[in-house]
Amino acid sequence: MAQTVPMAQKWWSGGKSPFNTEYGKLMRWYFLMSDAFTFGAFLISYGTIRYSSNGWPDPNEVFQSFPGLGSGFPLLFVSLMTFILIMSSVTMVLAVHAGHSNDKKTVIKMLVWTIIGGFAFLGCQAWEWSHLHHEGAWWGMNPFSNADGTQSTTNFTNFFFTITGFHGFHVFSGVVINIIMLIMTLNGVFERRGHYLMIEKAGLYWHFVDLVWVFVFTCFYLL
Amino acid sequence: MSNEAILQKPADAVVTHGDHREGNGHSEHHHKETFISKYVFSMDHKMIAKQFLITGIIWAIIGGLFSVLFRLQLGYPNDSFPILETLLGKWAKGGKIQPEFYYALVTMHGTVLVFFVLTAGLSGTFANFLIPLQIGARDMASPFMNMLSYWFFWAASVVMISSLFVETGPASGGWTSYPPLSALGGASEGSKTGMDLWLISMALFVVSSLLGGLNYISTILNMRTKGMSMTRVPLTIWALFFTAVLGVLSFPVLLSGFILLLFDRHGGTSFYLSDIYLASTQQALPNEGGSAILYQHLFWFLGHPEVYIILLPAMGMVSEIMSVNSRKPIFGYMAMIGSLFAITILAFLVWAHHMFVSGLNPFLGSVFVLLTLLIAVPSAIKVFNWLTTLWRGNIRFTPAMLFSIGFVSLFISGGLTGIFLGNSTLDIHLHDTYFVVAHFHIVMGVASFFGLFAGVYHWFPKMYGRYLNNTMAYLHFWVTLIGAYLIFWPMHYEGLAGMPRRYMDFSQWVSFNQFGDLNRFISIVSIIVFAVQLLFVFNFFYSIFKGRRVTTSNPWDSNTLEWTTPIRPGHGNWPGEIPEVHRWPYDYGKDGREFIPQTEPVGAQETAH
Amino acid sequence: MEQHPTHTHTEHQDTGTKEIWRTFWILLGLTIVELAIGFYMYKAGLQPGFFKNFLKGLIVVLMLMKAFYIVAYFMHLKAEINNLIMTIVVPLLLFVWFIIAFLMEGSSYNSLRNSLDRNHNEKSTAPVSPEMKGSKETPSKVTNEKPAHTE
Repeated sequence: MAQTVPMAQKWWSGGKSPFNTEYGKLMRWYFLMSDAFTFGAFLISYGTIRYSSNGWPDPNEVFQSFPGLGSGFPLLFVSLMTFILIMSSVTMVLAVHAGHSNDKKTVIKMLVWTIIGGFAFLGCQAWEWSHLHHEGAWWGMNPFSNADGTQSTTNFTNFFFTITGFHGFHVFSGVVINIIMLIMTLNGVFERRGHYLMIEKAGLYWHFVDLVWVFVFTCFYLL
Repeated sequence: MSNEAILQKPADAVVTHGDHREGNGHSEHHHKETFISKYVFSMDHKMIAKQFLITGIIWAIIGGLFSVLFRLQLGYPNDSFPILETLLGKWAKGGKIQPEFYYALVTMHGTVLVFFVLTAGLSGTFANFLIPLQIGARDMASPFMNMLSYWFFWAASVVMISSLFVETGPASGGWTSYPPLSALGGASEGSKTGMDLWLISMALFVVSSLLGGLNYISTILNMRTKGMSMTRVPLTIWALFFTAVLGVLSFPVLLSGFILLLFDRHGGTSFYLSDIYLASTQQALPNEGGSAILYQHLFWFLGHPEVYIILLPAMGMVSEIMSVNSRKPIFGYMAMIGSLFAITILAFLVWAHHMFVSGLNPFLGSVFVLLTLLIAVPSAIKVFNWLTTLWRGNIRFTPAMLFSIGFVSLFISGGLTGIFLGNSTLDIHLHDTYFVVAHFHIVMGVASFFGLFAGVYHWFPKMYGRYLNNTMAYLHFWVTLIGAYLIFWPMHYEGLAGMPRRYMDFSQWVSFNQFGDLNRFISIVSIIVFAVQLLFVFNFFYSIFKGRRVTTSNPWDSNTLEWTTPIRPGHGNWPGEIPEVHRWPYDYGKDGREFIPQTEPVGAQETAH
Repeated sequence: MEQHPTHTHTEHQDTGTKEIWRTFWILLGLTIVELAIGFYMYKAGLQPGFFKNFLKGLIVVLMLMKAFYIVAYFMHLKAEINNLIMTIVVPLLLFVWFIIAFLMEGSSYNSLRNSLDRNHNEKSTAPVSPEMKGSKETPSKVTNEKPAHTE
């Protein structure tokens, strides 16, 4: 199972992994798949409700503030958030990459950057939530009217807070996982183990969070 | 179980195992076993399977008892039973079951049996027990997550049990918990705390089932022993594999639906609520823009795969048991796998056939009719293959075999009525009548129970090293089979006459009080059948300690790998090397030999599978 | 135990790092294009119609491309063997019917309500008067604070 198997091998004949990987990574992938269905169900519900409404608020009108600059900057703040998350994904993948070559120092450096990115994203989200809350938006409260000037239902904010909240919860747990990984790396656990597979699995989770953001970002801010 | 402790191989016998796990995984095998680590927080898949089974049995008794209570009400709507007031207090004032409690009983009966007994109790038990044994692995991929899976199930059980004892009673909006009944706390007594506890319990259950399912999938794919290719695993494993896939992909959707429902209950949102008029306040709700049908879609996106989560393990075990006891290879092994696969795919595409009368888009409904009726094809393939496996077989009527044959009978009778219900036009008449009750009880409830019983009778010797008592088993089988038909067959007629579900008293209803005697008859039979299940429970626990001992490691002359382990396998299953597999598991009656175990190398003259 | 061939060669590391940064630039570029389209839709004040739907479709395509790059390169799925790729990609196809059925159902629910529920139709198409718009304490604010009867 463990050794690298030549390509001509029969993958499914038993006694080895048909995926050439150990079970943990496999399980992580399948977990992410099932989590994709959780997020998928949320986003599809959002789409369903949106399709069953006569009007919907224009995100450019709603999300147009930037801390320190005031309002009138549609899409700017969310672009920053997206950039932060993509950047942290890059540092994460660099950490994984350094792990492949057992480069402990780079792993630590990149993990620290990833964690900082995660916190930065969470901070941005906290700011955005509190800003919207100040404008009177919350679960069950929607101060924004539809793009065509008609009365909007509360479902715009309901879904926004539920889905970004659930995503933020994932980011938070990702940060916690990364901190644990950092501590384990600092303690030399992976060095003793001889491989940094755990980092790779944590990385999968982190990239998944980024991936979900791509969908959430598009569905809520652009469409 | 005390004998087991003596016969148990020391845990250290496992050191040489097949290096499936990461470095730190090994340490789990070396610690000394205490009572707590062996019986309570066990990480041995066999012990976890037994935990699932016994918890499932307890739940089955509770859920069955609920059905006896409401059958009592349906059979004798005008009589009162003082003992009920003694037992249930205010829920049965004057010895008569109160309407709210009737709904609570029906809801709990459904929830408990669908999720806790036939999901956790069935696939939890047999996936845990059979996967490592039949594919040739020391244990599950992650024994720790496996343990967590059981304990999340346990936590879900505790929450669900405690909901029975809250002031306002358990959830009573039906096992499907449709809003607005489930979303508005004021809608009924059961929509209050009971509903919250129900949602929490189900969320825990989803976690348990995900932890379990991920483990089953990774184990089956990644940890098969040498030679055990995917076309050599027993059909039980294929069925459990697809079951796990269904669970992993559909339970998360249910979780999302529940989270939205919780927000509707407590966050003032209106995902599922719109401006409906409430009689109690004489006002419309302030909510705007939600859709109750959305919840139904989300629920049934799980709900339909869920019925296959229940049914597929039974199908797999029946295939295996039938082949062993017919002394013939299973007919159409690849067709069996293909039909399981087809059922799995279709399970995800047909959910809205539960919602034809909900206000669903009729065009969409017609697409769902088409997809639903397609399920008949793989189902028919499976039935055909089971019958042809029996055909001219050298059948041994062991209790497990009888239950397997009973399963096929029930699957046919219940499946045929599914074709009626799958047509949206017929469904307008049949929806929410006793016809539906009869259909799903036969095809999903009783049939899966038969699979469960077959599995228990067949693998009990492997689990406990003893046999179940055969006399009690035969009694159990015949009474249950005949009883099940006597209970559910008449319900088809009631349903065709239009008798609706979820009503507690038909005696004042002129259209249906002609069925009073029939209802009483059904109730009497169901009480008898319930009593016989208690006989099985007695047999089960009695035989664990006092049953006839198994003296040979392969009591059914079966080919599969679990029978190559010692009679009471220890932690790690095989004392030495894991055996290598050379052939498929269905070489019965080949070349004049009665059976050829999977571990036997293929002879020079032989054609291998 | 460890099946990942350890990359010890520095030049291998460099090509790997190069690929990561290349992916980053692609993702950044795609995001900027997405944002540009979104910004254009807003500034040009496009009315709902074919062109706007086309642009939205374009955004969805770009989103899927981004998803592909993240999964393929950041999550290294492209480097895995075919078996693993298939077991992950194929089940995701279920989303196709999942999305089609749900969205169709949503729009059908809307048209049914519009034609059958006059109250809904009037309420949801009535314009909000400009002075009420956006201010917090006006009656136009829809609040679904938990109504008294729910407890």
